[in-house]
Amino acid sequence: MAKGRELKGRIKSVENTRKITRTMEMVATSKMKRAQDRVVAARPYARALADVIASLYNPSLAERFPLLRQPAKEARAAVILLTSNRGLAGAFNANLIKEARALIAKLEGAGTHVELHVVGKKGVGYFRYVGREVAVSRTDISDRPTAEDAASLVESLMARFISADLDSVYVVGSRFNSVLSTPPTADRVLPVEPPAAKGAQKDYLLYPSAEAILTELLPSYVRNAVYRALVETVAAEQAARRTAMKNATDNAGDMLNLLRRTYNRARQAQITQEIAEIVGGASALQG
Amino acid sequence: MATAGGALKVSVISPEATLFEGSAESIVAPAFDGEVGILPSHAPMVTTLGAGVLRIGNGEASFKVQGGFLQVVDDVVRVVTEHAARL
Repeated sequence: MAKGRELKGRIKSVENTRKITRTMEMVATSKMKRAQDRVVAARPYARALADVIASLYNPSLAERFPLLRQPAKEARAAVILLTSNRGLAGAFNANLIKEARALIAKLEGAGTHVELHVVGKKGVGYFRYVGREVAVSRTDISDRPTAEDAASLVESLMARFISADLDSVYVVGSRFNSVLSTPPTADRVLPVEPPAAKGAQKDYLLYPSAEAILTELLPSYVRNAVYRALVETVAAEQAARRTAMKNATDNAGDMLNLLRRTYNRARQAQITQEIAEIVGGASALQG
Repeated sequence: MATAGGALKVSVISPEATLFEGSAESIVAPAFDGEVGILPSHAPMVTTLGAGVLRIGNGEASFKVQGGFLQVVDDVVRVVTEHAARL
């Protein structure tokens, strides 16, 4: 029964694979929940910053703040691409890289010099493979990005934007709309797009002055935009991994059904054949 | 508008999480040029913060903060800072 043993081996191996993918699915689910909580926890800060900046901002201030400088043309841009450190998340990283490549192609098509900052092993590995020069590659940002991580990514870029060495900074990451909707997106974080004021403006007492407050808040706003992208990308990664592993588990189940059916059929056929042989042999002896 | 004598609604917000949310009779915050005390019915105000200790109510909670800003409007106080640690 050579075929039967072979099938048995395959059944075992698919069962083991299914065990692993199911475990990974559960791990990703719990990590995703925690990452999702962090996305939600980051919202009040972003809202508070946006509120205050919106209420203080007026176009006449724009010229005085280097971070609000709107360059006439983009000569040099930086693109920060956020990817994951681990694979097995379906097309998650491929989609992000595709989005980044589209953005780079668009910028370079317009004659902009693009420097690339890559976060995550997957993105770093890809650009090494295609042989594109990468200005900064970081693989030290964990599943739990902190505000310091965001600051360390964007601080030097802000300084260079202020000194007019860079004309724009983009962040490519996944937006976490919901578990099922995590589209890759490219956001421009510099120059700062002042958030639109909504509702009636309050007449605030401002200490020390509107300018001083904005000077302090604009960098925070930029850092927060990057922090939010980091947190949302982690949550999206876990969501993508969960979906990928759920599909793998389901497929393993289908495959097991098919293999078991084939195995049982082969086993039955063999028993039938053996009985037929015995009956044949007995009747030959009697006859 | 807020009525006089009502309590302040205070929240302390860092990029990662909302560290405190609740009501208090008063708060004392380290503004850029010295401490500022806030009682109910305060005029709308935005001020940047320096380094120091933020005290909420009568010892309800205190935080060590550095930088960021404080916003008061309609008896809602938001302390928004990148560096805050509960004491």
